[in-house]
Amino acid sequence: MLYLVLGTVFGFILSRSGAADYDFIQAMFLFQSTQLYGIIGTAVLVTAPGLWLLKRRGRTIAGRPLAIERKAFTRGTLVGGLLFGVGWSMAGMCPGPMFVNIGEGKLYALAALAGALTGAGLLGAVYPRLQRPLTLPPITVGTGEG
Amino acid sequence: MTLILHDLAPMHWALAGAGIAAVTLVLLWVGNRRLGISTGFEDLCSLALPLPYFRRGSLLGARRWRLPFLAGLVLGGALSALVGGGWAPTWDLGMFDRIVQWGPAGKLAWMFAGGLLIGFGTRLAGGCTSGHGIFGLSNLEAPSLVSTLGFMGSGAVTTHLVYRVLFG
Repeated sequence: MLYLVLGTVFGFILSRSGAADYDFIQAMFLFQSTQLYGIIGTAVLVTAPGLWLLKRRGRTIAGRPLAIERKAFTRGTLVGGLLFGVGWSMAGMCPGPMFVNIGEGKLYALAALAGALTGAGLLGAVYPRLQRPLTLPPITVGTGEG
Repeated sequence: MTLILHDLAPMHWALAGAGIAAVTLVLLWVGNRRLGISTGFEDLCSLALPLPYFRRGSLLGARRWRLPFLAGLVLGGALSALVGGGWAPTWDLGMFDRIVQWGPAGKLAWMFAGGLLIGFGTRLAGGCTSGHGIFGLSNLEAPSLVSTLGFMGSGAVTTHLVYRVLFG
Protein backbone atom coordinates (compact mmCIF):
# COMPACT_ATOMS: atom_id res chain seq x y z
CA MET A 1 0.00 0.00 0.00
CA LEU A 2 2.85 2.40 0.83
CA TYR A 3 4.37 1.86 -2.60
CA LEU A 4 1.05 2.21 -4.42
CA VAL A 5 0.41 5.54 -2.67
CA LEU A 6 3.93 6.85 -3.27
CA GLY A 7 3.72 5.77 -6.90
CA THR A 8 0.38 7.53 -7.31
CA VAL A 9 1.71 10.78 -5.83
CA PHE A 10 4.84 10.54 -7.97
CA GLY A 11 2.75 9.80 -11.06
CA PHE A 12 0.44 12.75 -10.44
CA ILE A 13 3.40 15.11 -10.04
CA LEU A 14 5.09 13.84 -13.21
CA SER A 15 1.82 14.24 -15.11
CA ARG A 16 1.05 17.78 -13.96
CA SER A 17 4.58 19.18 -14.08
CA GLY A 18 5.34 18.44 -17.72
CA ALA A 19 7.82 15.67 -16.89
CA ALA A 20 5.51 13.24 -18.70
CA ASP A 21 4.65 15.60 -21.56
CA TYR A 22 6.08 15.12 -25.05
CA ASP A 23 6.22 18.85 -25.79
CA PHE A 24 8.03 19.70 -22.55
CA ILE A 25 10.57 16.94 -23.14
CA GLN A 26 11.34 18.22 -26.63
CA ALA A 27 11.49 21.81 -25.33
CA MET A 28 14.03 20.63 -22.73
CA PHE A 29 16.22 18.96 -25.35
CA LEU A 30 15.88 22.01 -27.63
CA PHE A 31 16.86 24.25 -24.69
CA GLN A 32 13.65 26.23 -25.17
CA SER A 33 12.25 25.67 -21.67
CA THR A 34 13.81 25.46 -18.23
CA GLN A 35 10.82 23.68 -16.63
CA LEU A 36 12.32 20.19 -16.70
CA TYR A 37 15.79 21.38 -15.72
CA GLY A 38 14.19 23.21 -12.81
CA ILE A 39 12.30 20.10 -11.71
CA ILE A 40 15.31 17.78 -11.88
CA GLY A 41 17.59 20.39 -10.33
CA THR A 42 15.22 21.04 -7.44
CA ALA A 43 14.65 17.32 -6.88
CA VAL A 44 18.39 16.70 -6.65
CA LEU A 45 19.05 19.77 -4.48
CA VAL A 46 16.35 18.75 -2.00
CA THR A 47 17.05 15.01 -2.07
CA ALA A 48 20.81 15.38 -1.57
CA PRO A 49 20.77 16.96 1.92
CA GLY A 50 17.85 14.73 2.90
CA LEU A 51 19.87 11.72 1.85
CA TRP A 52 22.87 13.00 3.76
CA LEU A 53 20.79 13.31 6.94
CA LEU A 54 19.28 9.85 6.50
CA LYS A 55 22.67 8.28 5.95
CA ARG A 56 24.02 10.07 9.02
CA ARG A 57 21.16 8.63 11.05
CA GLY A 58 21.79 5.32 9.30
CA ARG A 59 18.37 3.82 9.97
CA THR A 60 14.87 3.77 8.55
CA ILE A 61 11.87 5.05 10.48
CA ALA A 62 11.38 1.46 11.67
CA GLY A 63 14.95 1.28 12.93
CA ARG A 64 16.32 -1.01 10.25
CA PRO A 65 19.79 -0.29 8.83
CA LEU A 66 19.58 1.76 5.62
CA ALA A 67 20.34 -0.24 2.49
CA ILE A 68 21.74 1.97 -0.24
CA GLU A 69 23.49 -0.04 -2.89
CA ARG A 70 25.63 2.26 -5.00
CA LYS A 71 25.56 1.79 -8.76
CA ALA A 72 28.65 0.31 -10.38
CA PHE A 73 30.36 1.86 -13.37
CA THR A 74 30.68 -0.34 -16.45
CA ARG A 75 31.10 0.52 -20.11
CA GLY A 76 27.39 -0.16 -20.29
CA THR A 77 26.80 2.88 -18.09
CA LEU A 78 27.78 5.26 -20.88
CA VAL A 79 26.72 3.17 -23.90
CA GLY A 80 23.37 2.42 -22.28
CA GLY A 81 22.93 6.04 -21.27
CA LEU A 82 23.48 7.21 -24.84
CA LEU A 83 20.99 4.68 -26.23
CA PHE A 84 18.46 5.62 -23.57
CA GLY A 85 18.79 9.30 -24.47
CA VAL A 86 18.01 8.63 -28.12
CA GLY A 87 14.96 6.61 -27.12
CA TRP A 88 13.83 9.21 -24.58
CA SER A 89 13.95 11.91 -27.25
CA MET A 90 12.04 9.78 -29.76
CA ALA A 91 9.31 8.66 -27.37
CA GLY A 92 9.21 11.88 -25.39
CA MET A 93 8.98 9.90 -22.17
CA CYS A 94 11.45 8.17 -19.90
CA PRO A 95 10.48 5.00 -17.94
CA GLY A 96 8.38 6.59 -15.17
CA PRO A 97 6.36 8.86 -17.49
CA MET A 98 5.69 5.85 -19.74
CA PHE A 99 3.41 4.41 -17.07
CA VAL A 100 1.97 7.85 -16.28
CA ASN A 101 1.10 8.45 -19.94
CA ILE A 102 -0.66 5.10 -20.12
CA GLY A 103 -2.69 6.15 -17.09
CA GLU A 104 -3.53 9.46 -18.77
CA GLY A 105 -4.98 7.59 -21.73
CA LYS A 106 -2.25 8.35 -24.27
CA LEU A 107 -2.59 5.22 -26.40
CA TYR A 108 0.79 5.53 -28.11
CA ALA A 109 2.48 5.08 -24.72
CA LEU A 110 1.45 1.43 -24.84
CA ALA A 111 3.68 1.01 -27.90
CA ALA A 112 6.55 2.67 -26.04
CA LEU A 113 6.09 0.28 -23.12
CA ALA A 114 5.90 -2.70 -25.48
CA GLY A 115 9.15 -1.52 -27.04
CA ALA A 116 10.78 -1.04 -23.64
CA LEU A 117 9.83 -4.53 -22.48
CA THR A 118 11.12 -5.93 -25.76
CA GLY A 119 14.35 -3.99 -25.30
CA ALA A 120 14.80 -5.19 -21.72
CA GLY A 121 14.00 -8.75 -22.80
CA LEU A 122 16.53 -8.46 -25.61
CA LEU A 123 19.20 -7.29 -23.17
CA GLY A 124 18.42 -10.24 -20.93
CA ALA A 125 18.85 -12.58 -23.88
CA VAL A 126 22.18 -11.16 -25.08
CA TYR A 127 23.56 -10.26 -21.65
CA PRO A 128 25.98 -13.23 -21.45
CA ARG A 129 27.59 -12.15 -24.71
CA LEU A 130 27.87 -8.50 -23.67
CA GLN A 131 29.22 -9.27 -20.23
CA ARG A 132 32.93 -9.34 -20.96
CA PRO A 133 33.26 -6.60 -23.63
CA LEU A 134 31.20 -4.14 -21.60
CA THR A 135 32.57 -5.18 -18.18
CA LEU A 136 29.09 -6.02 -16.90
CA PRO A 137 28.56 -7.67 -13.50
CA PRO A 138 27.87 -11.43 -13.27
CA ILE A 139 24.34 -12.80 -13.00
CA THR A 140 23.45 -14.18 -9.58
CA VAL A 141 20.33 -16.30 -9.87
CA GLY A 142 18.43 -16.16 -6.61
CA THR A 143 15.35 -17.28 -4.75
CA GLY A 144 13.77 -13.84 -4.61
CA GLU A 145 14.49 -13.18 -0.96
CA GLY A 146 16.77 -10.21 -1.71
CA MET B 1 3.47 26.56 -22.86
CA THR B 2 0.77 24.15 -21.72
CA LEU B 3 0.47 20.40 -21.23
CA ILE B 4 -0.88 18.17 -23.97
CA LEU B 5 -3.22 16.92 -21.24
CA HIS B 6 -6.28 19.20 -21.43
CA ASP B 7 -4.05 22.22 -22.20
CA LEU B 8 -3.41 22.58 -18.47
CA ALA B 9 -0.82 24.95 -17.06
CA PRO B 10 2.10 22.98 -15.62
CA MET B 11 2.76 22.70 -11.90
CA HIS B 12 5.59 25.05 -10.85
CA TRP B 13 8.98 23.37 -11.28
CA ALA B 14 10.08 24.04 -7.70
CA LEU B 15 6.94 22.47 -6.26
CA ALA B 16 7.24 19.48 -8.59
CA GLY B 17 10.93 19.02 -7.80
CA ALA B 18 10.30 19.21 -4.06
CA GLY B 19 7.44 16.72 -4.40
CA ILE B 20 9.66 14.26 -6.25
CA ALA B 21 12.35 14.70 -3.59
CA ALA B 22 9.77 14.00 -0.88
CA VAL B 23 8.66 10.78 -2.58
CA THR B 24 12.30 9.75 -3.00
CA LEU B 25 13.15 10.36 0.66
CA VAL B 26 9.99 8.73 2.04
CA LEU B 27 10.61 5.71 -0.17
CA LEU B 28 14.02 5.35 1.45
CA TRP B 29 13.19 6.37 5.03
CA VAL B 30 10.02 4.32 5.35
CA GLY B 31 10.44 1.60 2.74
CA ASN B 32 14.24 1.32 2.67
CA ARG B 33 14.05 1.39 -1.13
CA ARG B 34 16.17 3.26 -3.61
CA LEU B 35 14.10 5.16 -6.21
CA GLY B 36 14.31 3.56 -9.63
CA ILE B 37 11.83 2.86 -12.41
CA SER B 38 13.53 1.15 -15.34
CA THR B 39 14.25 -1.99 -13.32
CA GLY B 40 10.47 -2.29 -13.51
CA PHE B 41 10.88 -3.40 -17.12
CA GLU B 42 12.94 -6.33 -15.86
CA ASP B 43 10.40 -7.01 -13.13
CA LEU B 44 7.71 -7.26 -15.79
CA CYS B 45 9.94 -9.38 -18.06
CA SER B 46 10.67 -11.73 -15.16
CA LEU B 47 6.97 -12.57 -15.01
CA ALA B 48 7.16 -14.09 -18.48
CA LEU B 49 10.76 -14.85 -19.48
CA PRO B 50 12.69 -17.69 -17.80
CA LEU B 51 16.15 -16.39 -18.82
CA PRO B 52 18.82 -16.48 -16.06
CA TYR B 53 19.11 -12.68 -16.28
CA PHE B 54 15.51 -12.41 -15.07
CA ARG B 55 16.01 -14.86 -12.20
CA ARG B 56 18.53 -12.64 -10.37
CA GLY B 57 17.86 -12.60 -6.65
CA SER B 58 17.96 -8.83 -6.37
CA LEU B 59 15.40 -8.54 -9.16
CA LEU B 60 12.91 -11.12 -7.92
CA GLY B 61 12.94 -9.65 -4.44
CA ALA B 62 12.21 -6.14 -5.72
CA ARG B 63 9.00 -7.05 -7.53
CA ARG B 64 6.97 -6.82 -4.33
CA TRP B 65 7.51 -3.08 -4.01
CA ARG B 66 8.23 -1.92 -7.54
CA LEU B 67 5.22 -3.42 -9.27
CA PRO B 68 2.78 -1.65 -6.89
CA PHE B 69 4.84 1.52 -7.35
CA LEU B 70 4.50 1.28 -11.14
CA ALA B 71 0.77 0.63 -10.76
CA GLY B 72 0.68 3.83 -8.73
CA LEU B 73 2.28 5.76 -11.60
CA VAL B 74 -0.51 4.60 -13.92
CA LEU B 75 -3.09 5.52 -11.28
CA GLY B 76 -1.46 8.92 -10.73
CA GLY B 77 -1.65 9.64 -14.44
CA ALA B 78 -5.31 8.59 -14.53
CA LEU B 79 -6.17 10.77 -11.52
CA SER B 80 -4.39 13.71 -13.09
CA ALA B 81 -6.49 13.33 -16.23
CA LEU B 82 -9.72 12.77 -14.29
CA VAL B 83 -9.45 15.84 -12.07
CA GLY B 84 -7.93 17.86 -14.90
CA GLY B 85 -10.90 17.61 -17.22
CA GLY B 86 -11.84 13.99 -17.61
CA TRP B 87 -10.20 10.76 -18.73
CA ALA B 88 -10.35 9.79 -22.40
CA PRO B 89 -8.06 7.78 -24.67
CA THR B 90 -6.09 10.03 -27.01
CA TRP B 91 -3.57 10.01 -29.82
CA ASP B 92 -2.64 13.67 -29.29
CA LEU B 93 1.13 14.09 -29.44
CA GLY B 94 1.58 17.86 -29.52
CA MET B 95 4.43 19.11 -31.65
CA PHE B 96 4.95 15.68 -33.24
CA ASP B 97 1.47 16.06 -34.75
CA ARG B 98 2.13 19.64 -35.84
CA ILE B 99 5.54 19.03 -37.38
CA VAL B 100 6.10 15.35 -38.13
CA GLN B 101 2.43 14.68 -38.90
CA TRP B 102 2.41 10.89 -38.86
CA GLY B 103 -0.81 8.97 -38.31
CA PRO B 104 -1.46 6.39 -35.55
CA ALA B 105 0.47 3.60 -37.31
CA GLY B 106 3.56 5.76 -37.75
CA LYS B 107 3.33 6.97 -34.16
CA LEU B 108 3.13 3.42 -32.86
CA ALA B 109 6.19 2.36 -34.85
CA TRP B 110 8.16 5.43 -33.75
CA MET B 111 7.12 4.95 -30.12
CA PHE B 112 7.99 1.25 -30.22
CA ALA B 113 11.44 2.04 -31.61
CA GLY B 114 11.99 4.72 -28.98
CA GLY B 115 10.77 2.34 -26.29
CA LEU B 116 13.11 -0.39 -27.52
CA LEU B 117 16.11 1.92 -27.09
CA ILE B 118 14.83 3.02 -23.69
CA GLY B 119 14.36 -0.55 -22.44
CA PHE B 120 17.69 -1.83 -23.72
CA GLY B 121 19.63 1.33 -22.90
CA THR B 122 18.38 1.89 -19.35
CA ARG B 123 19.02 -1.72 -18.40
CA LEU B 124 22.49 -1.64 -19.89
CA ALA B 125 23.21 1.64 -18.08
CA GLY B 126 21.71 0.31 -14.87
CA GLY B 127 19.26 3.15 -14.47
CA CYS B 128 17.35 6.05 -15.99
CA THR B 129 16.22 9.54 -15.04
CA SER B 130 15.00 8.38 -11.63
CA GLY B 131 17.71 5.93 -10.60
CA HIS B 132 20.69 7.80 -12.05
CA GLY B 133 19.39 11.33 -12.53
CA ILE B 134 17.53 11.90 -9.27
CA PHE B 135 18.83 9.38 -6.73
CA GLY B 136 22.28 8.74 -8.16
CA LEU B 137 23.20 12.40 -8.54
CA SER B 138 21.78 13.20 -5.09
CA ASN B 139 23.94 10.41 -3.68
CA LEU B 140 26.97 11.86 -5.50
CA GLU B 141 27.65 8.74 -7.54
CA ALA B 142 30.10 9.16 -10.42
CA PRO B 143 28.53 6.48 -12.67
CA SER B 144 25.23 8.36 -12.42
CA LEU B 145 26.88 11.56 -13.58
CA VAL B 146 28.39 9.75 -16.58
CA SER B 147 25.08 8.14 -17.49
CA THR B 148 23.07 11.34 -16.98
CA LEU B 149 25.43 13.38 -19.15
CA GLY B 150 25.21 10.58 -21.71
CA PHE B 151 21.44 10.44 -21.95
CA MET B 152 20.91 14.19 -21.74
CA GLY B 153 23.52 14.69 -24.46
CA SER B 154 22.24 12.05 -26.86
CA GLY B 155 18.66 13.14 -26.17
CA ALA B 156 19.46 16.72 -27.16
CA VAL B 157 21.32 15.60 -30.29
CA THR B 158 18.44 13.36 -31.36
CA THR B 159 15.78 16.00 -30.82
CA HIS B 160 17.82 18.54 -32.77
CA LEU B 161 18.21 16.02 -35.59
CA VAL B 162 14.48 15.35 -35.70
CA TYR B 163 13.16 18.89 -35.31
CA ARG B 164 15.98 20.95 -36.76
CA VAL B 165 17.29 18.74 -39.57
CA LEU B 166 14.90 15.99 -40.66
CA PHE B 167 11.63 17.86 -40.20
CA GLY B 168 12.94 21.38 -39.69
